[in-house]
Amino acid sequence: MTAESYAAAEDLVARSAAAYVAAVPESPADEGFFGPGSVTWRVSTDPGTPIAGLRALMIQALHPLAMAGVDQHSDWRQDPVGRLAATSAYLTTVSFGERAVAERAAARVRRVHELVRGTDPVTGQPYQATDPALLLWVHAAFVDSGVAACALFGNPLSPADADRYVAEMAIAAELVGVPAGLVPVTAGELERYISSVRPELRCTPAASESMGYLLDPPGLDPDIAEIWQDVRDGTIAALPDWARQMYGYDAPPLTPARQTEIRQALGVLDTLYLGEPGVLEARQRITLRMRAAQRA
Amino acid sequence: MKRTVARLAIGAAAVAAVAAGLLTRRRPAVPDPALPDPARRELSRPDQARREPFGKIPGWPERFRRQTARPGQARSLPRGLRLRRGLAAVRLAVRGGIRYAGSAPRLFAAAGENRERLRNDLALQTAEDITTTLGAMKGVLMKIGQMASYVDDGLAPNVRRTLSRLQDSVPPMSQELAAQVVEQELGVPPERAFAEWDPVPIAAASIGQVHRAITRDGRAVAVKVQYPGVAETMDADLDNVALLRRVLKVTAPNQDVEALVAELRERIGEELDYRREARNQRRMAAYYDGHPTIRVPKIIDEFSTRRVVTSELAVGARFSELAGWSQAERDLAAETIYRFVFRSLYEIHAFNGDPHPGNYLFHGGGRVTFLDFGLVKHFTADELQPLVHMVRDLCVDNDPEAFRRSMENAGFLAPGAPLSTETIIDHMAVFYETVRRPGPLTITEDYASKVVRQFFDLRSPVAAYASIPRSYVILQRINLGMFALLGQLHATADWRAIAEEIWPFVLGPPSTPMGHAEAGWLATRPGVIRSQA
Repeated sequence: MTAESYAAAEDLVARSAAAYVAAVPESPADEGFFGPGSVTWRVSTDPGTPIAGLRALMIQALHPLAMAGVDQHSDWRQDPVGRLAATSAYLTTVSFGERAVAERAAARVRRVHELVRGTDPVTGQPYQATDPALLLWVHAAFVDSGVAACALFGNPLSPADADRYVAEMAIAAELVGVPAGLVPVTAGELERYISSVRPELRCTPAASESMGYLLDPPGLDPDIAEIWQDVRDGTIAALPDWARQMYGYDAPPLTPARQTEIRQALGVLDTLYLGEPGVLEARQRITLRMRAAQRA
Repeated sequence: MKRTVARLAIGAAAVAAVAAGLLTRRRPAVPDPALPDPARRELSRPDQARREPFGKIPGWPERFRRQTARPGQARSLPRGLRLRRGLAAVRLAVRGGIRYAGSAPRLFAAAGENRERLRNDLALQTAEDITTTLGAMKGVLMKIGQMASYVDDGLAPNVRRTLSRLQDSVPPMSQELAAQVVEQELGVPPERAFAEWDPVPIAAASIGQVHRAITRDGRAVAVKVQYPGVAETMDADLDNVALLRRVLKVTAPNQDVEALVAELRERIGEELDYRREARNQRRMAAYYDGHPTIRVPKIIDEFSTRRVVTSELAVGARFSELAGWSQAERDLAAETIYRFVFRSLYEIHAFNGDPHPGNYLFHGGGRVTFLDFGLVKHFTADELQPLVHMVRDLCVDNDPEAFRRSMENAGFLAPGAPLSTETIIDHMAVFYETVRRPGPLTITEDYASKVVRQFFDLRSPVAAYASIPRSYVILQRINLGMFALLGQLHATADWRAIAEEIWPFVLGPPSTPMGHAEAGWLATRPGVIRSQA
């Protein structure tokens, strides 16, 4: 363990926490795009969220063009922690922020996407990040992962709530530029859409490398790294069989005991997160609004 | 290597906790006129304005109603109350260089003037809320935070901050949820079980909260109510020993992780069953019944079950308030704490493992109420024997070789370690300084810090040959906790003379006014047989 590597691990928690705190408004002018009574808020506050995020990234990365865009244009390789923190800040803003703030954040994302274009070295295909097909894939992987992670490691959604969640989240896709008519609005539609894209998916070297980093971040403090292994196992277990096979991971049988252990590891990581300045208060802001919505 | 060294330090400190009483000898070259003369102290002369009496409070229902309306202003605080005192303890600890952070479960530290509203609005309403808040290791982590604050001076600041925030994150139960637990446990809702029931909790316990009530026969009581489902949740989390081990390696890197895991599981298991706490407290209350200065609130049997424990409501000043008392008063309070700790150990073979400032209430004249017996460690005579021998060898018989053999017999020191007995004595002496010679001396915060530093001294040559047997692990907690308390009190006494009164191998004559009063109390108790541990 080196001081430098420990700092990197700490940084991951600290930077994503700071982004989270800034994205949860103190006295919002409106309820944002979803509101405290939404399924989206429930999913966004679920204990399984970290695994949802990692699972989403793994599925998104299997699209060679989406992966190439990240690999060739973002600062992902230089500053993966910063990249993850920025993404999680954006998602938090869209979930909990005021409409105007979320719209401004989405506009920024769209402007950045304008600059992201190139050719995927693996398939030889040209890509551009404004392509609704790529944006939709990223969206679908995220929504699907929320449902999957809640089911395995958090509070499972009823089929009706899963439908509601998919429908609610359609607006998030529209915000980044997917035409409304293209976005799945039920769990069934979402599943069919994901199946329809599968022939285009590949585990490119860039995907394999990036996800290898994510699942076993180099330089983590060894003790934290051990806890991270549970999170990694949880993420792999939560993947659809086809995605797991594409990455070449074994499917570890997810026994109820193992499920409990992974939940416990998530609890430990969440406690670290809670120790960051402002996180507790941000959560209390969210809980208060959800409680008020329940009472209403 | 590092860990072994730490074990030695723990071993040394544990021995000292038993034998020496955690106090220092600071003999000024010239008498310090600022120090009171212990001989002039009188037990019957509290120089403070009259404090609340023990037990029942005349006219309490009126106060009760007033305070119910303003729970933030509550001043009558029963056992287990840790809320604001916890914060005060942290402040005192920072000033004194002894770390107490994380030791005091707080009743939901929300910000500023919104606190009361937030407390209500965020209250835990269902068993699911409790699982979310305290499940997935979080309840267990809170306990680790409490333990680590006693055992490890070397907690990383971020770990300390994190565990402290975790405690802040637990809101109280809603009034309805607390009432449900009481009804499940007592068979009737609290409003029917008691003549009066204060639905607003006045204190947090780590796995529950404390409510005030008045029984139908007019007794003011404190009712501790456990969070529903917390036992099942924490039981499951404690089964994940591998994860506990990893967490403890991060939070308490200098400690013997295996011993801590075992200790943690045992202690939490005990704490989850309030019947055990009630048994401990009953025993303590019975032993100290009628004692001139030591008070233990009585358990009310008919309202005490696995998840609810009810005792007399005690009212008094908090530890932080002692800062405004005279030094003479603080000395008396310290003497009572000292007598309580060592009398309990030698006479009842029991040690209260939770020495944090929230567990004491002060009444002036040296009278102290002792609260919270959820973490009492019982020793067998066989476990106690070697420790007794050690103090006797070193302090009474002045026989270093015998002391060394006793250390070996107790399991603190490997037999045949290639170390001179002088080296061993040098290392251990600091822990026995206070009782090696008679005469008044003052425990300072500096001394407390010094002992803590020595406790964690990783460079001692004795380190490689020392360890601490598991049954003594809990003693280290008392050790650091007591140092912090008595150092903050800046207490002066002839600790050796008091120790001699209590040491079963000396049974010396009363050495202070309190000692005389205690002797009188002992004389009225033919049933109490002095132990020959």
